[in-house]
Amino acid sequence: MAYSTMAAPALKPWDSTPAAPASARRGEPWVTANDLFWCLYLYPLRLFAALAPRALLYQIGRLAEPFVQLYWRERKKDLVRRMLRSRCPGLTADEAPRIARRYVSNALFRGLDDLIISGPAFRRALRCTAVEGLDHLERAKAAGKGVLVLSAHFSANRIAKKYLATIGQPMLTVRNQLLYEGAGRLGRRFLQPRYVKFQHQLVPDEVDARDPECALKIFQRLRTGELVHILYDVQHRTAFVRGHFLGLERRLPAGTLRMVRFSGCAVVPMLCLGNSAGFRIVFSPMLNMVNAATPDEFAAANLPSFVKTLERQIAEHPAEWVLWNRL
Amino acid sequence: MEPPVTGVRSAGTTATRDTMNRIRRVFITSLGLNLEEKDLPYEQKLDEISGLDSLAVLEFVTALEKEFDMAIEPEKLVLSFVRDLPRLACYIEERQGRRPGSEA
Repeated sequence: MAYSTMAAPALKPWDSTPAAPASARRGEPWVTANDLFWCLYLYPLRLFAALAPRALLYQIGRLAEPFVQLYWRERKKDLVRRMLRSRCPGLTADEAPRIARRYVSNALFRGLDDLIISGPAFRRALRCTAVEGLDHLERAKAAGKGVLVLSAHFSANRIAKKYLATIGQPMLTVRNQLLYEGAGRLGRRFLQPRYVKFQHQLVPDEVDARDPECALKIFQRLRTGELVHILYDVQHRTAFVRGHFLGLERRLPAGTLRMVRFSGCAVVPMLCLGNSAGFRIVFSPMLNMVNAATPDEFAAANLPSFVKTLERQIAEHPAEWVLWNRL
Repeated sequence: MEPPVTGVRSAGTTATRDTMNRIRRVFITSLGLNLEEKDLPYEQKLDEISGLDSLAVLEFVTALEKEFDMAIEPEKLVLSFVRDLPRLACYIEERQGRRPGSEA
C-alpha cells in the first residue's frame, strides 16, 4: 500500500488549535454563546468543582437538567431522527425519545464528571460499583504482546479510565483533537487552547491521532505489554476500511486493524457504564483474531467482530453511547 | 567484512553499505514508493524523501524487523531514530553482532 501523506511536526496536545482561514474570519463574531458557556465552565465552574463535594455538584446538575432538556429540545429531535435512521437492534420509535432524553441527561452529568476528574483529588469522588472480567484483561496481558482495549464512545469512559489507572491498569488513549464547536474569534484565540489543556488533564495519557509518531507510540506501548485504548466507532478520513456500523455505511479506522496485525496484540472489549456516583466497567473475553496474509484480508476477516462487539454494546445501552449526534 | 561507508556517520558510528542498502530497499518496497535506491542518499532522513504518515512508519519498522529477523527495542521506536538511516543501520548491525570490530 502506498502512502503519500506529508509528515507533520510533532504535536503537543495543547498547541494544535487550528487558525481559521482569513475568509472564514471575516464576518465571524468576536464572542459567541458557546464561548460564554465554555468560559463559565472552564473558569468559575471548574474552580467551584474543585472545592465543592460531588453531591452538591450533582444536586445543581439535577436542578439544571429541566432547563438543559428544554434548551436541547431541537437537538433531541435530531437525535431521535438519527437513532431511527440507524438499524440499532431493539431501538424502536417509541423508545427513541426516552433514550434521547437520557442521552442529554448523561451529557450533563458527564460534563460535571469531567470537572470532578480534572482536579487532583478525583479518586475519592469516583464510586466504582464493579469491575467485571478483569481476569480477561489479565489473561490478555499475560500473552505479553500488549492489549488493545476496544470500546465505543460511552459516557463513562473517561471516569473509568481514570479509575483503572489508580488500580494499576493505566492505558494509553488515542484521540482526535477536540475543539468545542461554534467558537468566535476571541474564543478561538483564548478559550480553545484552555479547553484543549482541560481535555488533556482529563486524559493525560494520550496520543493525538494526527501525531506522526502516533502509531509508533502505540506500538511501543503494546510491545512493552501495556494497554492501549481504542475508540473504534469513529469515522476516519484518510486510512479507513468501508464497513457498516449500526446499519449505516461508515469509514472505519484501518490503522487499528493494521496495528493489531503488526503487533499481534490481544484485543479485549471494554464497556463503561454510569457516572461518577456509580459506575461499572466490564471487560469481555479476548476477540479471536484471524490471521491473514495482507492488511486488506486481515481487515476483511476481523472487522466484523470489532463491529458486532460494539454494536451489541450500543444496542444494550443506547442512552450511554455518546456519538448518536454524529451518526 | 565490508568496509564502513565513508562519509556516512551519525553520532560517531559507521555502518556497512550492505546494511544501509537493505534498509533502503525495505523502505521503498514496504511503502510501495516509486523510487530508485539511488534517489535515497544515505544522509537523507527517510521521511524527507516521501513524507511518512504514522502508519507508514510502522509499516516500515515491521518490514525492517522481518527483513533482519529481529525486534527493535521499544525505546528505539521513535521517529527521530527510525528516520535516520545510518543510525538505524548501526543499530541493526550492533544487534546482529556485525559491527566493524565486533565479533560476527
